[in-house]
This record gives sequence, structure tokens and C-alpha cells, in this order.
Amino acid sequence: MRAKILIRLKKQILEPQGKNIEESLNNLGFDKCSNIRQGKLIELDLPENLEDRDSYIKDICNKLLVNSIIEEYEVL
Amino acid sequence: MNTELILKHGLTLDEYEVINNYLKRELTMEELGIFSAMWNEHCCYKTSKKWLKKLPTSNDIVIQGPGENAGIIDVQDDDAIAFKIESHNHPSYIEPFNGSATGVGGILRDIFTMGARPIATLDSIRFGDLSNFKTKYLVNGVVKGIGHYGNCIGIPNIGGECEFDHSYNYNNLVNAMAIGHVKKDSIFYSEPKTIGGLIVYIGSKTGKDGIHGASMASDVFSEDDEDSKRPSVQVGDPFMEKLLMEGCLELMNAKLIESMQDMGAAGITSSSVEMASKGNLGVEINLDKIPLREPLTPYEILLSESQERMLAVILEENNEKVKNILKKWEIDYEVIGKVTDTKKVIFKSKDKIVVNLPVDIIVDLAPEYDRPFNLPLKRKVQNYDFSELNLKICLDNILKNINYSHKSWVYDQYDSTVMGDTIFEPGGSSGVVKIHNSKKAIGATTDCSPLYIRINPEKGMAHTVLESYRNLISSNIKPMAITNNLNFASPLDQNIMGELVLSISGLKKTAEYFNTPIVSGNVSLYNQTNEEPIKPTPVIGCVGLNENYKTLVPSCFKSENDKIFMNGQMLEKKNSPYFLQDHLNIKQINQFNDLVNEDFELEKIHQKFIFNMFKKELIQSANDISRGGVIYSLIKMIKSKLGFSIKTQNELDLFVECLAGYILVVNQQNCQNFTKEANIANIKLIELGIVKKEIIEINQSKLNFNSIYNSYMNNFADKINN
Amino acid sequence: MSLSSAVITFPGSNCDRDAQTYLEILTNQDTHKIWHKDVLLPKVDLLIIPGGFSFGDYLRSGAMAAKSPIIDDVLKHAERGGYIIGICNGFQILTEIGLLDGALNRNVKLKFLAKNCFIKKNHENNFNKKISQDQCLSIPVAHNEGSYYNSEEGLKLLQDNEQISFLYCDEEGNTTDSSNLNGSLNHIAGITNKKKNVLGLMPHPERAFQDFHTSQDGQLILESLLG
Repeated sequence: MRAKILIRLKKQILEPQGKNIEESLNNLGFDKCSNIRQGKLIELDLPENLEDRDSYIKDICNKLLVNSIIEEYEVL
Repeated sequence: MNTELILKHGLTLDEYEVINNYLKRELTMEELGIFSAMWNEHCCYKTSKKWLKKLPTSNDIVIQGPGENAGIIDVQDDDAIAFKIESHNHPSYIEPFNGSATGVGGILRDIFTMGARPIATLDSIRFGDLSNFKTKYLVNGVVKGIGHYGNCIGIPNIGGECEFDHSYNYNNLVNAMAIGHVKKDSIFYSEPKTIGGLIVYIGSKTGKDGIHGASMASDVFSEDDEDSKRPSVQVGDPFMEKLLMEGCLELMNAKLIESMQDMGAAGITSSSVEMASKGNLGVEINLDKIPLREPLTPYEILLSESQERMLAVILEENNEKVKNILKKWEIDYEVIGKVTDTKKVIFKSKDKIVVNLPVDIIVDLAPEYDRPFNLPLKRKVQNYDFSELNLKICLDNILKNINYSHKSWVYDQYDSTVMGDTIFEPGGSSGVVKIHNSKKAIGATTDCSPLYIRINPEKGMAHTVLESYRNLISSNIKPMAITNNLNFASPLDQNIMGELVLSISGLKKTAEYFNTPIVSGNVSLYNQTNEEPIKPTPVIGCVGLNENYKTLVPSCFKSENDKIFMNGQMLEKKNSPYFLQDHLNIKQINQFNDLVNEDFELEKIHQKFIFNMFKKELIQSANDISRGGVIYSLIKMIKSKLGFSIKTQNELDLFVECLAGYILVVNQQNCQNFTKEANIANIKLIELGIVKKEIIEINQSKLNFNSIYNSYMNNFADKINN
Repeated sequence: MSLSSAVITFPGSNCDRDAQTYLEILTNQDTHKIWHKDVLLPKVDLLIIPGGFSFGDYLRSGAMAAKSPIIDDVLKHAERGGYIIGICNGFQILTEIGLLDGALNRNVKLKFLAKNCFIKKNHENNFNKKISQDQCLSIPVAHNEGSYYNSEEGLKLLQDNEQISFLYCDEEGNTTDSSNLNGSLNHIAGITNKKKNVLGLMPHPERAFQDFHTSQDGQLILESLLG
């Protein structure tokens, strides 16, 4: 089964990417966009019958995928 | 085979006829693909070959001239330097980041394929007018791409050029040059020697990247097909390339490789054909063995341009060792075939032969054209009205024109100090790196004056080559050899073909006179969109040697009150093309006067004098004079707030171009000796003035130092960011 | 004092040879070269984790290198009180391992930044004791993710424990917005751990020590350690 994990910088951390994208969109005339955040999406396959799927995903996130000092994640 | 299919593969019907007459059978699709890849301009130089053959390519320092992955010169003791320049123009227009990144990746592979460790890169990039809708996007993407690849793999970028001109509006140019160091007894070539030797595939898996990219690079663009061509651009992985480089160099150090060839444009097709042809042998390859990223047909495998791949020949007994080293670097590796004595290129798939072609027909029968060309028209003598111009206006023109702006916005994105051997970073007259664990320093520069070459291709080319020498010489580096990247519009236009032919002739004359052979190069034609051709842009990459880095001379001011001299011969305003273009706004080529003749004798006398002054340690710093004249050279020399105070009889003369022109800065106490030496050598010096802290003063009128310096430093970023 | 040393190479490290040259010239003895898959470090005084793009900087700079087999022994070396300097990507790796606090984010201008910068000493430790309080060191930076971040509490701890080793400044030693070239929190260019035997810094001292380099100030860091 496909798992999707969305990783973003925590809200309190300056995220110049998002700000930059927002400016570019505004310059193109899309002035209704605001509060843009950029994240990364990681997709992976897991066995259908995996027990403790949630804690398994939590484990991979904590061990490698996410740096909890600056990032937060959400399983989609 | 149907006509449309043949034409779609970029072959003419005449070319197809040649193949048919030889083989006397129908081609398979895969074979058609091979001819399409091998017989296009990019791979077989069919338009330029006749003229390139005339270039001087050897002398006593040339170890390897054109024809291998890179040229190699002898830099004394057991050291040799490999270098080459290559274009990635079209891919960078379609997808600037990946197009330019893979350009850097490709040229680096050309260097380490020969056993040389890359020690520096340079670039030469050209874009359209800033007002053009796409220019800023292209500049951002191209610079980011070049930086990304070089930074990640860890090779310093030590210099280059960046120019804006409307003729590049729809065809930007991205030329990347790389330099490598190799011990003379450790050079590797692409020629296999052992029949039965294993052909191995090393590196990234093959995917659909760039299928027909090599033929794309030879197409004339039409404006609306950008999007349809997008999937064809390769994506690079510099991390993989770093592993591949370390893995290959380790294999070569252990002498486990017999020959190696980069899978560049036209991928496995051109690399295997090249190998067979070099060794006068045959190859037999099983396409089912090729590591794939996704399912591909044999046709796609043959034409894929996936990056970071190598083809090598090894002896069977070394197979295990090779495997282990590559495993350490986590690089894919597969034995895919063997070297044969058949003089044929055979590709098999699913037990079927899909390609069976004699090497001769692909290589020796490759078309070579003698395209008709026009000589440039005789020029009428033009006169101009300079009465509206004065110092202030001209200075303003320079400070507002992005072509004169300090280019740190570009090279601050390039790591120029990694490897720890960089001596002169970008921004000076030439980039310089030290050979590791040696006193020897290698200097390099990329140059082109497209305006000169459009006005008079032959003389213009000579001026371009002379300027590249002056860049090196002002740092006390002896020019040794050249690599060139001939960027032109469509050679089917007889005027453009004339530019190609004559500029090669100018290169030949100059390189012969100064004994700097051309050891490698690249040709990029059809740089035109609809009726808009680029200016002829044959870029010169010149490499030179300084035997003891402690004698290098910087191109910035060193201390206050040093005297500033110039030598060389100022051109008249009416004969100074960049002056006319940048200050009188002359645009039509027929409104320029012809170029003045280059003067080899004069250049040589001045070269000799300057090297002699360096040897006697009479010079603090030096710079060459080119576009923008004396004043621009002086502005470029400002450092640590050291400016200048100068006098001149005619202020506009400060802006004109020169023959054999250099700025030479001399410590007060050495001045007497220096002027005496100049007298003996019969060199006419002009004493311009002195170095002065936080001052720019011309004929006693003080200009605003901070405002001039800041606008010179910041104009580029201001223009690109807005 | 004599100083024995080692440099770790990860796939994608590209300043490992530079670090080795820096160590060998200034300590006047050979340096051990360690591959990331090794599991034991030799007994050395100083370990350098060099710059580069370990594992291509994919996922996050330093994240994958932090999981390499050699890291267990790096932790033990630190515990024993052995010195470690992580330069650039090495700094990123040290934060990912958890030996140093905080994290390094993308440069505020979103561009790779390669130029000469100035840094000055803040809290004194064994890595900077030879540098005087008012001295500005000119040292190159070359990075894409060098903007130091820590939480408010984390920052306070660094301050209280005097772990902030180097700050970005201008030529005259002023810490200004423009001298803080990557947007680091409080101008931080380098920090140590609490025990002050592990230093992470973004600028590259190993590119500023030989006579042909633009500056020789990078010597001072190693000389501080040499005593």
C-alpha cells in the first residue's frame, strides 16, 4: 500500500522558498495567493498487511525522513 | 524505407542513398537511429570538418590533439593537462537548469575519461537583451544549473564570460570548459586493444532522457516548438557523477581499464562506434544487459542520452576487481558485450541482431560537405559625429550597461575555492589554479568578441585569440594551447558559412604564429530561430602555464601612489567597434568601419617586454585593455577602496579599444628602472597617473568614487533582480 | 604539541582532500583517511568531518551521512573528549547526528553562496583561543544551506553555556544585516557542543591557510588546537 508523507518546515521557521514563490506569483498577476509554504512529499510502498503501520511510519520519520528541530510531518 | 521517416531522422535523401548503395539492403529502425545520431552535425562535423582540418593541432607540447574525449598538453616534468570546451546551447534554452547542469557534467566526464582529475571549470554564457521576456529566467536557470553541478561534484569554477546581446534572444549560448590534471604515464584513451576484451557499462541506469537530443542540437528552432521538445532534455545527477568520477579514477589508478569512452551525446551508439573505429576492431553488445530505469525498446536504448554513464573495455581477468571497486562506490556495472575482430558494430536484443553495420560506413562514409559561402562585402568608410559625447556620458553608458557590470552575481553562485588550490578566482583577467603538490600554476580564460567577428570574421577571430593571450599574459602566464567552441547560426546561409570558414582561418593564422595549437573543440551550428541568427561566436578557451605560482601577477591595485602606465596602441574611435556600439548606439553591421589589421609583430614585442618586466619584478599588477578601454580596465582593478587619479589629453580616448594594450602598475621606486627598460625595448609607454585611495579623478576633476564603484558592483544584481 | 588526526569521507564529500592537506601541512604529520563504512576510528586527537554534498544532499543535507556505520564511533570519540571539527556539510552532519544543537536551513536568498566572508570569535574555546577578541578572520564560504536555526530556548542554552564560537561580521568586525550573508540566527557561523570539544562551522578554514590563498586566517583555528 502506498504511503504518502508530507514534510514541511515548522510554521515558526522562516521559509524563504514560500515567500519567493508568493512574490513570483504576485508578479505574474496572481495576487490572490498568500501564505505559501513549500514542502516535500515522500511516497513509499508498504505491505498491505503491515501491522502497526502508523508506528512504523512514525519510526521512519523520526529516524531519517524528518528533522524534528525544523520540520513537521503529516501522513496523508 | 519511407521518405518521411528518413527526413524525420535528420538525414537527407542523398545521405540515405549513400547508405543504401553500400549496404544493398533495407535498414532496420535501430540502424536508421544510429545514422541519425552519428551523421548529424554534432557528432560528425559534416559542415565544419573540411575547415577544421586546416587548424594547427600539434607541436612539441601536444600529447593528444582533437579526436579524443579531450586534448592533452605537456606541462613539464611528468605533468600533463587535459582540457576541452563544449556547448549545451539548445538544451539550456529549453530547460535552463538541467540543460546547463548536464553541460557541465558532460565536459567533466570528457576529462576524467582520459584518466585526468578535473581541477577547474570555466564557462562562457550569452543571453539576449534583458528586456526580452525570457532572458532573466534563462540567466537564473543557467547560472543555477552550472553552479549546482560543479559545486556538488566539487570542482572550482575559476572564470568565464557572460554577455548580453539581442542576437541571442532566442538562442542563448552555454559553453562549459573543464581542465584536468594527469600524470603523463597515466593517460587513458578510447582505443581498445584486446580482441575478446569485455565491454562494460558503468554508471547510471538508462532511461528515456534526451532521446534524439544530439539531433535536436542540430535543428533550427522555430519559436513555438519549445514545449514539444521539453521531454528530450536530460536530467543530471551530480552526486552520481562524483561517485562515477571517483570510481573510474580508482579503476584507472589500479590499471584495471584498457580503454574508456564517455556515453555523451547519442549515448551508447556513439561511444561504441567510436571505440570500434579507434581500435580498428568490432564490438558486439547485448542490449538486454543494459541496466534500465524503465522498460525501453532497443531503439530507445541506442539513442538514450541518460547522463553519468561510461563505456569501458577491461580484460576478463580483471572483472572481479573492477566489480569490487565499483561496488564500493555503489555504481551500477554490467558486462554488456565484447570486443571483436569483425570491424562491425553489432547490437543484439532477445537473440536477434538489431544492428549489424560495418564501422567504416558509419565513420568513414560519414558525409563531409563543402558548403558554398560568401566572402564579406568590402566596407565603405564611415564617419561619425562624436560631438555629443563626453566623459560623463560615456562613463554613464558603461555603468548602466550590464555587459560592463561586475559579474559577481554570477560567480558568487559558483564554488571557486573547493579543492584548495585556487589562486586567482573569477573576476580577474584570468582564473588560475595550482597543480596539487607542485609549484606550477595553470591559468585559463574564455573569450569571444562576436561583434568583431561579425564585422570581419577573419580579423575579428585574430583579435579574439590575441585578447585571450593578453588575459593570461597580464597574470604572468604563458599561453600554451587552445580549445574552441564554434557557435554559429545556420551554415546553409552562405553568409554564415562565410563567417565559419573565415573565422577558422583567423584562428589558424593566429594560433600558428604564436604556436598555441588547438587541441580540442566543439561545433554548435544552427543557433538561429526563424530569421534571427546569433552573432558568430567562436569561443576560445586558452590555457597557459606559470612555472612558479609565486611569480603570478594580480590584476588589482595593490598600494596607494603606485604609478599607472599603459602600453599598446589605442584605436581611433571610428575603428573601435565596441566604442561605436556602446556609446553611439551603432547597431547595423554595415555601419561599422572594417576592423583594423591585427598586428602580430606588435603583440609579440609587447608580450616579450611584459614577461621581461615580470621577471625583473618591476610590476605590481597588470590588466589587459579590451572592450571599454583604459577606463574600464582601471575600474576593474579597484580593490580595497584603491582608486586612481589619471590625466589624458582626450578623455574619449579612455573608452576605445587597443592593440596589444595593457595597464601596468609600478611601484614608485621601480619607475625609473621600468621606464628605462621600456626605452631599451622600444616600447612606447603612456604614464596615466597614480593609484589613490577612495578617489577616481580624471584630469583633476574628482568623480564620486563610491557611486561609480557601487554602481559597477551592483548594477548586474539590480538589473537581474528587477 | 603534536596532533594526530583523521578525516572521514562519505560518498559525495568533496573537501576531504582539502581537509587532509590542511591537517598534514599544519600538524606536520600524516592524516588517517576514514571511509564512512568503516566502523572504528583510529585513536586520534582530532577528527574532521569535511564539506561536500554527502549522499548528494538528497532528503536533507547531512541526514543520510548521519546514519553511516562510522557514526557510532564518532559519538564515542566525542564522548571520550576527542576533538571534532565539522566544516560546512560536516557542520550539517554534526547537527543531524545530534552532537551539535540546531539545524542549518537554506540560505535566506535561496542561492548557493560562494565568496570570502569575515568571521570573529564570540565565546572562547580551544578552537579559537589563538584569535584575539577584535580580530576579523577572512575565510571563504561555499554553501546552499548555511542559515543557522535554533529554537528560542535552544539559543538561550547556547548563550548561557558559551557555545557560540564564531559570528559572521564585516571587515571591521560589525555584525550587520548584510554581513550575515546567509541569514543565520544571531549571525552564528560556528558553534560548539556543551563540552566544547566539537566545533561546527560553515566557513572553510582549509581554503585559507597557504601562501597562495586569498587569506591565511584559517590557520588560526588549527593553531588554537595545537596550543
